[in-house]
Amino acid sequence: MASQADSKDRQFLAVIGDEDSVTGLLLAGIGHVTAPPDNQKNFLVVDSKTDNATIEATFEKFTAERKDIGIVLINQHVADRIRHRVDTYTAAFPAVLEIPSKDHPYDPEKDSVLRRVRRLFGE
Amino acid sequence: MGQDLAEKTGAAVGPQQQQQPHQAPSRNVADYDDAVDSLLLRYLSLLDEYTRLRAALGALQSTVFQSLARANFTAERGVRRYGQDYYDERMQATRRLRVTTPGAGAGGSPVFEVVVHSPEEDDKDEGEAAEVEVEPANGVDEQQANEEKPNEQQQQPAQNNNKTKKKKPKPHDPLRWFGVLTPMALRAAQGQAVEAVHDLVPRLATVSAEMAGVEVEVRRTRKKRAKAVAAEEKRQQEEEENKLEKRVDGRDKPGRAEVLAE
Repeated sequence: MASQADSKDRQFLAVIGDEDSVTGLLLAGIGHVTAPPDNQKNFLVVDSKTDNATIEATFEKFTAERKDIGIVLINQHVADRIRHRVDTYTAAFPAVLEIPSKDHPYDPEKDSVLRRVRRLFGE
Repeated sequence: MGQDLAEKTGAAVGPQQQQQPHQAPSRNVADYDDAVDSLLLRYLSLLDEYTRLRAALGALQSTVFQSLARANFTAERGVRRYGQDYYDERMQATRRLRVTTPGAGAGGSPVFEVVVHSPEEDDKDEGEAAEVEVEPANGVDEQQANEEKPNEQQQQPAQNNNKTKKKKPKPHDPLRWFGVLTPMALRAAQGQAVEAVHDLVPRLATVSAEMAGVEVEVRRTRKKRAKAVAAEEKRQQEEEENKLEKRVDGRDKPGRAEVLAE
């Protein structure tokens, strides 16, 4: 029952990615900034200057702290930068999906779901 | 198709079953084999859907990037790039998730859906505050109108109200962050991104969650099967030992009878 109530409040998609990925998804209308004074965004634009600690902290915030996010979309090349964090994430909510970016096409070898598939058949 | 696969996988498991000729326990093991096979079959069909969705999302994402690149190329002077410099800091999500978990407690995996969230729902709460802000402006307009054209004073407030009502939904369309006259390519990017968010992303999340659920079931059933196999082997050993004991007893008895006869 608790998980059902928990999942009901998860009404936002969040995104961590490069500028074009975030712009595209925000154009679709998923962007949300909570009311002041919090002003919490549900997106993070990552560029070459963004350090891994920031990415990791944002991933942590979206997956563990915020209870209103249901899906976290993350560019695969960004996920690579905090791979240990993404691969060890096993909770049902929010769901984490790795998406391709402009400069880095989707690589099935790195996809966490397909890794799980290999583990299941390789045991 | 499904049955064929089931038969094939069944055939692959067959030799193992033949090694276990005892009826009662082997039926158990066979049941677990069937259960694992049908779970894996379901898992493979989910995996198939997952890879198809992945390919579709990849293709759609690349068209979004192309459209954005085209929009940036044809951008008006002054627009450096259609990107984060133009994001509205007070943006409100117009596409939101609806997560349903069917059969909670029965291990039902969650279903993700993206629904359009009408800004009016939020405006009901914010509306009152907005009206308070608008009213003083109306008052100024009315005063000016009174001074200039006293005859139109009754129409003026009505028009102002209409204007404020029409203006409200506009800031909720993210396309407006980038100006009033946005290039066609940016609109195309929006359309493609909406398709990705609406159709592909929630389905991918649902399929992924369902796959995780099946994985757990497969592991659980495999463990049960392993236990059943171990229990059966133990039983076999015990039976063989019993037989051996009986044989030894059978040989011993005539031996003793001969000894006695002598």
